[in-house]
Amino acid sequence: MSDDGTTTPADGGNLIAAEYVLGVLGPEERREVERRLAQEPALASEVAFWEERLGGLADAVAAVPPPPHTWSRIEAAVSATAAARPTSIWQSLAFWRGFAIGSATLAAASIAALAYIGLVPGPRQPLMATLAGSAGQPNFVAAVTATGNSLVVVPASLLTTDPRAIELWLIPTGPNQRPHSLGLVRPGQPIRLTIPPDLAGRLGPDATLAVSLEPPGGSPTGQPTGPVIASGKLTSL
Amino acid sequence: MDADASRSQLAAALVRVAAGDRAALRMIYQDTSAKLFGVVLRILRDRSEAEDVLQDVYVTVWQKAAAFDPGRASPITWLVAIARNRAIDRLRASGVSRRMEPIEAADAVSDPAPAAVERVEQAQQQQRLARCLGELEARHASAIRAAFLDGATYEELAARMSVPLGTMKSWIRRGLFKLRACLER
Repeated sequence: MSDDGTTTPADGGNLIAAEYVLGVLGPEERREVERRLAQEPALASEVAFWEERLGGLADAVAAVPPPPHTWSRIEAAVSATAAARPTSIWQSLAFWRGFAIGSATLAAASIAALAYIGLVPGPRQPLMATLAGSAGQPNFVAAVTATGNSLVVVPASLLTTDPRAIELWLIPTGPNQRPHSLGLVRPGQPIRLTIPPDLAGRLGPDATLAVSLEPPGGSPTGQPTGPVIASGKLTSL
Repeated sequence: MDADASRSQLAAALVRVAAGDRAALRMIYQDTSAKLFGVVLRILRDRSEAEDVLQDVYVTVWQKAAAFDPGRASPITWLVAIARNRAIDRLRASGVSRRMEPIEAADAVSDPAPAAVERVEQAQQQQRLARCLGELEARHASAIRAAFLDGATYEELAARMSVPLGTMKSWIRRGLFKLRACLER
């Protein structure tokens, strides 16, 4: 690198994420980075790395309470956007659409899952979860019926032809909770699983669902033994 | 409230916002608006502009909460990133190159104040960042701090520190390069 503003490819090329987070880029360069973020997971993780690490610098800035009318302006703006959402179902679809990656297949999977659980009133709120992999891509959508005794799992993305079994786990909320097996999931198609009565009560909002790869027939130990390929939290619709 | 509880409460509120819960948005606003307003005001230096941007930040949170990934970012980091991005975009859109205070003045404000650190985890992260910044040449570290806190461009930083533009770019890029290696250790 020299002092005339040029950088060598070795160090200049991968600093664009850091320069973006730091805020030193001009408007066109910023838009360019933002366009690339949607398509380049490596760049997105690099930006996340710098946001997380440099974020601590903001602690040095003194907090300043905003004027009281700010909240009412936000509330009014939010009400205006909320009014544009026709029903709670569309609201939740907007929620799923918010996941930029694989959004089309994900929305399709969400609709399928909603269709499976039906929209009949039940004794409790239906629950849904998107299960995403480590790169953030959603792999499954899961929905719990309003009666709370069955669960529909819809694959949102194609899986490899890995011969291993795909097992679904429930991790209830609370400290030191162990995963409980909910059964095996088929890679290419939606499946309805019956929830064992002893687990039905623990399948509430904020419980976590996870998917792991296991030997054919499922985990021999009753606990996940293979890699967890996706996980996500249940949320009330 | 302990560090983990505070963090997971904020993360849970973001999940509720993603599902359309306005009360959760209000809770997030109450917990974080003073911090974010401070950050935005520091960049924009104009209360009325900063209020506009702050409003925009929470409307964005309302619309984009589903994109928050608790496995990848801490909730406060995610919120600060949105606030800084909005403030910097507003600043660039105004097209005004600001009259800048000398960089030493910025440094005096930006020195981390341990008393302000609420979260243990954040304190550890900040200690590591402070240590890594400490390993850089002092002027490189100053330029990086000033860029982050004030949202200054390379041009503004060069003017403030009275060095050619190329020198400033090189300082910051070298600084970031070394910082990355140190933060990864």
